[in-house]
Amino acid sequence: MSTDIEQRTLLDVKDLEVHFPIRSGVVVERTVGHVRAVDGVSLTIDAGRTYGLVGESGCGKTTLGRAVLRLEEPTAGSVWLDSTDVTALRSERLRRFRSKMQMVFQDPLGSLNPRHNVEMLLAEPLKVHGVGSKAERRRLATETLDAVGLPVSVMERYPHEFSGGQRQRLGIARALMLRPDLIVCDEPVSALDVSIQAQVMNLLDELQGEFGLTYLVIAHDLAVVRHLSDRVGVMYLGKLVEEADSEAIYERPRHPYTKALLSAVPQPDPDIEAGRERIILKGDLPSPANPPSGCRFRTRCPWAQDVCAEEAPVWREAADGHKVACHFDF
Amino acid sequence: MALLEVEDLRVAFGDTTAVDGVDFHVDQGRVTGLVGESGCGKSVTSLAVMGLLPRRGVTVSGTARFEGVDLLSLPRADMRRRRGSDLAMVFQDPLSSLNPVVQIGRQITEVLERHRGLRGEAARKEAEDLLDRVGIPDPRRRLGEYPHQLSGGMRQRVLIAIAVACAPRLLIADEPTTALDVTIQAQILELLKDLVDAEGTALLMITHDLGVVAGLCDEVNVLYSGRVVESASARDLFARPTHPYTVGLLGSIPRLDLPIDEPLEPIRGSIADVIRWKDGCAFAPRCDRVAEPCVDGEPPLIGTAHAHRCVMAEETV
Ligand SMILES: Nc1ncnc2c1ncn2[C@@H]1O[C@H](COP(=O)(O)OP(=O)(O)O)[C@@H](O)[C@H]1O
Ligand SMILES: Nc1ncnc2c1ncn2[C@@H]1O[C@H](COP(=O)(O)OP(=O)(O)O)[C@@H](O)[C@H]1O
Ligand code: SF4
Ligand SMILES: [Mg+2]
Ligand SMILES: [Mg+2]
Repeated sequence: MSTDIEQRTLLDVKDLEVHFPIRSGVVVERTVGHVRAVDGVSLTIDAGRTYGLVGESGCGKTTLGRAVLRLEEPTAGSVWLDSTDVTALRSERLRRFRSKMQMVFQDPLGSLNPRHNVEMLLAEPLKVHGVGSKAERRRLATETLDAVGLPVSVMERYPHEFSGGQRQRLGIARALMLRPDLIVCDEPVSALDVSIQAQVMNLLDELQGEFGLTYLVIAHDLAVVRHLSDRVGVMYLGKLVEEADSEAIYERPRHPYTKALLSAVPQPDPDIEAGRERIILKGDLPSPANPPSGCRFRTRCPWAQDVCAEEAPVWREAADGHKVACHFDF
Repeated sequence: MALLEVEDLRVAFGDTTAVDGVDFHVDQGRVTGLVGESGCGKSVTSLAVMGLLPRRGVTVSGTARFEGVDLLSLPRADMRRRRGSDLAMVFQDPLSSLNPVVQIGRQITEVLERHRGLRGEAARKEAEDLLDRVGIPDPRRRLGEYPHQLSGGMRQRVLIAIAVACAPRLLIADEPTTALDVTIQAQILELLKDLVDAEGTALLMITHDLGVVAGLCDEVNVLYSGRVVESASARDLFARPTHPYTVGLLGSIPRLDLPIDEPLEPIRGSIADVIRWKDGCAFAPRCDRVAEPCVDGEPPLIGTAHAHRCVMAEETV
């Protein structure tokens, strides 16, 4: 978290939609519907800041992150990085532009080629973008390994030789090699044990200061997101339902879904646990191929009224910098 | 007498030690937690107690007394009879513990038939009641469905229904909510709490989540590298964490109830940095308080109601 006085918007996501066709038919494939994975999301991230995106699995977090990096084609809307419309870039320009935006994945092993040693893994993004000589690439790799807390001696080793935490450090090092402006971290610590999670979270914090990074952190763990983020957005079925500064959203959640999520997180304190009012949501997440009419949360919302089925709540500013999509004020 | 008393349990796969002298007990009608990070031996401990470890290549020693009878030395057939009726288990991944090609109803009635001799319409009716009790809507229709037709949360409910079908006195739940979203986790934890409260079933709750422990458990055992390093009532453990590993775990968790800029204090290194318990404290290579006595042979168990295995702890408590 930085304390820049001058704030500049680095990422601007406007009305983004990503719909996946559902195909059916054995002989002739037909599109029989769409999974509305991301269904009209707008958000901005200031340079040097961290935006945390939370929500349950299937709500569209990964798809949104991938669409920001153009790893997924948006169905509608646009993504701006600084003054470039990323969604309008084609072929060679897009390829070059990609060096400004990188991704850190949940499963670092799955994203690393098992037959490449650390030096090759780190040099690869530079090679692809034609950056530096071999010696220069090695110098950058050494520098980056040091930044993520791995000794240079690992250069000749292979991913499977590392523990989960070390692999995530490698994944982060690789994302850093091109010195990007934005890193999308998709569940960066959810595969790790708690003691290692804390190491990696602290590392992400340090690197942000050191490299002036802007993060979009995607996670289902609300405490992890609170710890890492300046601003937090809560997603439900492809849409944002609430967004505010991290402090505000946890102090005073305004959307029923956010309230339920927060009340469901078990806290490591028996007194808090014994005293808490848990909002137990009924049922499962509806299908994003066929979201409920009106407010998408209404089928599980304890406070839903008739109007909730009839009209979609508008995305409004309920308090200074605190946006919410609900017909009521809670 | 404790319902289940595990003493000096050791399990090795070939030369690899997975459980290295575990002691704990579960009292009648209580919820006892077994908590620790991945690889510390939680699942292997529970599989040993349930008699579900393969025989080939696996060495098990120690005792696990259930109402005084050592389960580890029971003949296989006796253990099979007890499984399901005396002790039952719920696993993390319901999909791999359910048979994908058999209807839900059939999987429940099978258990009812084997352990309670129920057949035909009586078994079917009981299966429907069980699904209803674990909060599955429209249970009659669900009986005819296959596991893949249910959501993760619903599948976990089915597994719990099967586990409680024969009113076991001990239910072992191995990370039953780890694969689930937080709102579904809340539903399942609520269900487990209601079931054990209503039936007086003892629950051995295995988890890596200290939040889950705080919400559900009466007693807690913290495992590290195949051994219990601290055990206490949940209240005592959170009020006075004593073993440096427990302290480190608590310092690693970002908390919603503390100021937002509260720094995390991770444990250094990883579980790969260990020494064997017979040579000293396995946690020593990662510990801030490590000193000479820590690596001077097997650390003793210190204390009774709130017990731990750190020779340095007394000085700072
Ligand atoms: N390539 C794809 N094709 C079809 N559906 C997809 C694809 N990727 C994701 N989805 C669907 O889109 C929805 C959102 O998925 P995802 O973005 O992965 O959610 P999250 O990351 O929040 O768990 C889910 O219903 C998922 O099944
Ligand atoms: N079938 C097996 N063969 C060999 N080693 C095993 C086997 N099952 C578990 N282990 C090892 O035993 C240790 C304890 O495993 P486990 O009880 O599954 O840990 P936990 O459930 O606490 O994550 C681990 O080091 C694991 O690698
Ligand atoms: S709009 Fe209605 S259904 Fe949606 S969250 Fe608000 S009260 Fe609940
Ligand atoms: Mg995802
Ligand atoms: Mg396990």
